[in-house]
Amino acid sequence: MQASRARLFKEYKEVQREKSADPDIQLVCDDSNIFKWTALIKGPSETPYEGGVFQLVFAVPEQYPLQPPQVRFLTKIFHPNVHFKTGEICLDILKNAWSPAWTLQSVCRAIIALMAHPEPDSPLNCDSGNLLRSGDVRGYQSMARMYTRLAASPKIG
Amino acid sequence: MESTTTSVPKSDADNWENFRDEDTMQQQSAILAEEAEKIPFIGDKEPISALAVEYQSGSPILMQKIKVLDEQYSSIRRTRGDGNCFFRSFMFSYLEHILETQDKVEVDRITVNVEECKKTLQNLGYADFIFEDFFALFLEQLESVIQGKDTSISHNELVTRSRDQSISDYVVMFFRFVTSGEIQKRSEFFEPFILGLTNSTVDQFCKSSVEPMGEESDHVHITALSDALGVPIRVVYLDRSSCDTGGISVTMIFYTPSNACRLALTLAREDGSDLTRPYMD
Repeated sequence: MQASRARLFKEYKEVQREKSADPDIQLVCDDSNIFKWTALIKGPSETPYEGGVFQLVFAVPEQYPLQPPQVRFLTKIFHPNVHFKTGEICLDILKNAWSPAWTLQSVCRAIIALMAHPEPDSPLNCDSGNLLRSGDVRGYQSMARMYTRLAASPKIG
Repeated sequence: MESTTTSVPKSDADNWENFRDEDTMQQQSAILAEEAEKIPFIGDKEPISALAVEYQSGSPILMQKIKVLDEQYSSIRRTRGDGNCFFRSFMFSYLEHILETQDKVEVDRITVNVEECKKTLQNLGYADFIFEDFFALFLEQLESVIQGKDTSISHNELVTRSRDQSISDYVVMFFRFVTSGEIQKRSEFFEPFILGLTNSTVDQFCKSSVEPMGEESDHVHITALSDALGVPIRVVYLDRSSCDTGGISVTMIFYTPSNACRLALTLAREDGSDLTRPYMD
């Protein structure tokens, strides 16, 4: 508990220090609970998520960094490896491939990379996975783009 | 249809019941806890004959090999087969060795190597905060086995600490960082061995097979750790292989760094899941 708090505090300081280093990620710690974080990430360019801003929510366990944070999308997203209802993410580094070498910031980077490179063979969203697996890239892209517009685009006015 | 962008009701954000990952994690830790009751990270000393009892109905080659071991070693300690067994047994072996010998020259020597490992990681681009807690905890253990200080610990306390997950896991992670750093620093040397093992790049190998907890150690890990810390390691393979000449001998593999000066012993069973620490007579 104490160790995880100390580590998260270091990550917090690092995030403050490097705020401008990664303009695609805005990682924020809860005011009253260092085990709760949220992040806003920009959809990567040249993907159907471009132009969208997606909110992630982190719940950090007491055994962190020996155990991974739990992360999910709060913003609706149509992606083969993200559960359409719960926002749960299928990503190896959040499960058995986790190591303390990762940070909350680098997890965000990994999620952005996953958005750009879906893994349709281990889908949490079967509809999305099936579109890609059957070669209907256009179908997948238009669905993903539609949800980016509907759910992840900053409202105008 | 959802039309929210970044603001979602707080109650929704806190609603982790729907989060299936948590179930998986809970189930996993329940399995680990069940396993933990069976065998501690580091077991008590047992005679080699305890192994013979276990393999009584097994291969006669194993029985013969256990007999050979019995002639060379007085006892073993089992370690929990959770994928970290090599690192845990190395931690215990090494710290016990220092506690018994009070070899301050060795402590100074390895401290220099640890400092070097830290620089290796920094040069590879690891931020200090990522690994420093793990390094600090190892150095703390190393310091505490030297007697005559307020912080000194007894042999019993070393056993207790080695069984304490919060200490043991951190020391395992320290070794994993050291191992990963060494492999990446000398990637040209390790690359062919890694290709033979997993068909992945050095980088991928370190990320997926060295740094995560619970990933089994192979000769690449052992070589890298031995080299980085300058500590020789002997692994004894208790497998069913037999010698063409008819005689039975136990395969022992020595990992000897160029600046070798001390001995740590580990013993692996055939499935690799269970490392034990034999004591020299």
